[in-house]
Amino acid sequence: MAVNSNHKTFNGGIHPPYNKELASSQPIKVAPVPSEVIIPLSQHIGAPNEALVAPGDKVTVGQKIGGSEAFVSASVHSSVAGTVKAITDITGFTGAKVKAIIIEADPEQPEFEKKTGADLDGITAERVREISREAGLVGMGGAAFPTHVKLAPPKDKAIDTVIINACECEPFLTCDHRLMLERPSDMIAGLKLLMKAVGAKSGIVGIEANKMDAVDEVRKAAEGESGISVEVLEVKYPEGAEKMLIYALSGRKVPPGKLPSEVGCLVQNVGTAIALYEAAAWGKPLYERVLTVTGPGIKQPCNLLAKIGTPISTLVEDCGGFQGEAGKLVMGGPMTGWAQKDTSAPIVKGTSGILVLTADVVDIGEEHECVRCGKCVDTCPMFLLPNYIATCTRAEEWDKAEMYGALDCFECGCCSFVCPAYIPHVTYARKAKAEIAALKKR
Amino acid sequence: MKVADTMQVTVSPHLHRRDETISRGMRDVLIALVPVTIWAIVVFGFNVVYIIAVSMISAALSEFVMRKILRRPVTLRDYSALVTALLFALILPPTTPLWVVAIGAFIAIGIAKELFGGLGRNIFNPAIFARVVLWFSPLAVYTQRYVKPFFWKTTGFFSPVATSINEGVAGRVVYKTLAGNPTSLVTAATPLSLFKSGRLLPGMVTGPTPVGATWVTSSGRPSFGSIFLGLKSGSIGEISILLLLLGGIYLIWRGTIDWRIPVGIIGAFFVLILVTWYHPIDNLFAGGLFLGAFFMATDWVTSPVTRRGKWIYAVGIGVTIFIMRFWGARPEGVAIAVFIWNPMTLLIDRYIAKPRFGDVSNPLFFQAPALPKPMPKPAPEKT
Repeated sequence: MAVNSNHKTFNGGIHPPYNKELASSQPIKVAPVPSEVIIPLSQHIGAPNEALVAPGDKVTVGQKIGGSEAFVSASVHSSVAGTVKAITDITGFTGAKVKAIIIEADPEQPEFEKKTGADLDGITAERVREISREAGLVGMGGAAFPTHVKLAPPKDKAIDTVIINACECEPFLTCDHRLMLERPSDMIAGLKLLMKAVGAKSGIVGIEANKMDAVDEVRKAAEGESGISVEVLEVKYPEGAEKMLIYALSGRKVPPGKLPSEVGCLVQNVGTAIALYEAAAWGKPLYERVLTVTGPGIKQPCNLLAKIGTPISTLVEDCGGFQGEAGKLVMGGPMTGWAQKDTSAPIVKGTSGILVLTADVVDIGEEHECVRCGKCVDTCPMFLLPNYIATCTRAEEWDKAEMYGALDCFECGCCSFVCPAYIPHVTYARKAKAEIAALKKR
Repeated sequence: MKVADTMQVTVSPHLHRRDETISRGMRDVLIALVPVTIWAIVVFGFNVVYIIAVSMISAALSEFVMRKILRRPVTLRDYSALVTALLFALILPPTTPLWVVAIGAFIAIGIAKELFGGLGRNIFNPAIFARVVLWFSPLAVYTQRYVKPFFWKTTGFFSPVATSINEGVAGRVVYKTLAGNPTSLVTAATPLSLFKSGRLLPGMVTGPTPVGATWVTSSGRPSFGSIFLGLKSGSIGEISILLLLLGGIYLIWRGTIDWRIPVGIIGAFFVLILVTWYHPIDNLFAGGLFLGAFFMATDWVTSPVTRRGKWIYAVGIGVTIFIMRFWGARPEGVAIAVFIWNPMTLLIDRYIAKPRFGDVSNPLFFQAPALPKPMPKPAPEKT
């Protein structure tokens, strides 16, 4: 890719078809309030939440309805004003059963009352952490790790750089792109809060070169801010993976099994930065998010500001419904998202998109014997040996699977994407990771 | 939550690179070999077409029959049998009897590939395996006599088709053709056999007069142009270095093969012949070095997957070729070198470490971590 040759990047990776033009020119629309929201109690990595309301209770927009005393957790808030209908087990987007609060929305929805007069310049680091905990902030790129935990790194690890992950390297998704175009100054304000929270001197916004309009907007917004820079990155998947992004921007390598704080970095997503700004300036908890509903199987692809807990079916209707022969329904991006059996699952804080692929786009080949072409090895951004992880997983040789790097796999899917034998490497790696973790616990 | 349950629902990623299939890779190799094949037909006559056709038919039949016997799905559509068949034909002398070709193609596909477990599980490159087996078999006499370029000018473009060989007259071979009339052909020395006989005096050819070696200049040296462009005696596909380079570069450009393997092999070999000054330029372009480096050693299945492994494998082959050519009893060494290093691939992939992203230590060898033994599976209850 000659166009990209001057931009920072990492080693390995792939160039999937991006298809961003489907939704990238669509301004963010506010999705209509659904008649009923299904809010899973635990939408983050960490301790599960307890319900704080009971069926029959009246709730208001932004009211805390689930929380936990544990440190690694993120509370959930009601996204509508209405009545709690039930607290029950539903099938979440991963296919596993999760406890959820079902709220019937009132026909009249009051506007959320923004607080004013917050002093963002004089705010303390402690207060930023408190705010993000109260607002239930999690990483909105997909992993949904509680933000306040990230903001409290180990004492001996000083963080000097905060990175805003604005790569959006997943094909099809455009919500971060739109957020940067429409709310660049809010994002920069969020970045400044993040820098304050960890005491970092510099902040970097990393944007892929296919979003040059966003680069311009963010550069304009960041003008005059000390320590904040905007960097253009090569268009390559997975540029937005935490470790790859840190390496591309700073040249630092996070050691295997370690967190970004090890090399003095903190990475947060565009959506998270803006949500933190909203929480600090307006007192608004995380109960709605921007996501992209797109794909060749959607009539009018668009970017929606939707309430957490809205079922997929409602959002698809908001975008004109399905078209073409149904292939796959994916929650998240095409490379790491979760395929859905039906449209019943609700969106959660970590949902960056809903993708509908038509049958002709979905390419499910027959799995062949590995021909050892080595393409998976060449593309793996973690320098692992995916084909051997798959082979060892099949043979249940977990020590060898770990030797070839199973535990360092973050399931970006590059190996499966390029595999000429159509081996589902990610499936094998997931299985190996679970088995090795279980063995290590014993 | 059982892991198996969540996996049932989905596997990410949901995109696949459309043009990335096994058959695409194999088709690429076939395309890359088209110029070499056409040139071989021009130089060695229509006999080459018969040899390739017989090799392909025999290979396809072997694959079909072996897969049926072994109760595996027939996978002729991945073209891998045709690639093996073509490569095998290209490393035979142009006058190999057709029944020998058929047996060789069966050894390649039926034994070296299918008996080892099919594509992906073979530890030897099937074409090389068959060639080496023929070499050390009673059929060797049919596969080591070479004729001079354009020998068909005296016998006709569409003949001879050899069915058997008589070694009657010294320096000559009598071929019986399909029509039944024996044809006497002059065997010719290949560049490599010249070096072998004259290696004590670099640049000079001593020993027996190179009969029929029309590509040798009056000073006794092979002319650079003819050994590079392909006017020399040798196996069907090895003669034109230019066209082999063209095909190899095409494969590298398509991403089908890794450039490290040919560069490692040719580089290591060239350094060694430079150091020993053993006909450096002539030796580089003579024999099967380029065919082996670009098309044989780069076989996906029998070469390592990591870059570090590829370098070790490639340099290993380059050094082995040099050893075989310099000290070996026979002039050629590429097939044997690839044959020796093919099984090494398994060891290289198992033991030569590939440091992970961010690894501070840079170990040369992989070491399996100590994990507790998995729980023994509950034995099925006896009823």
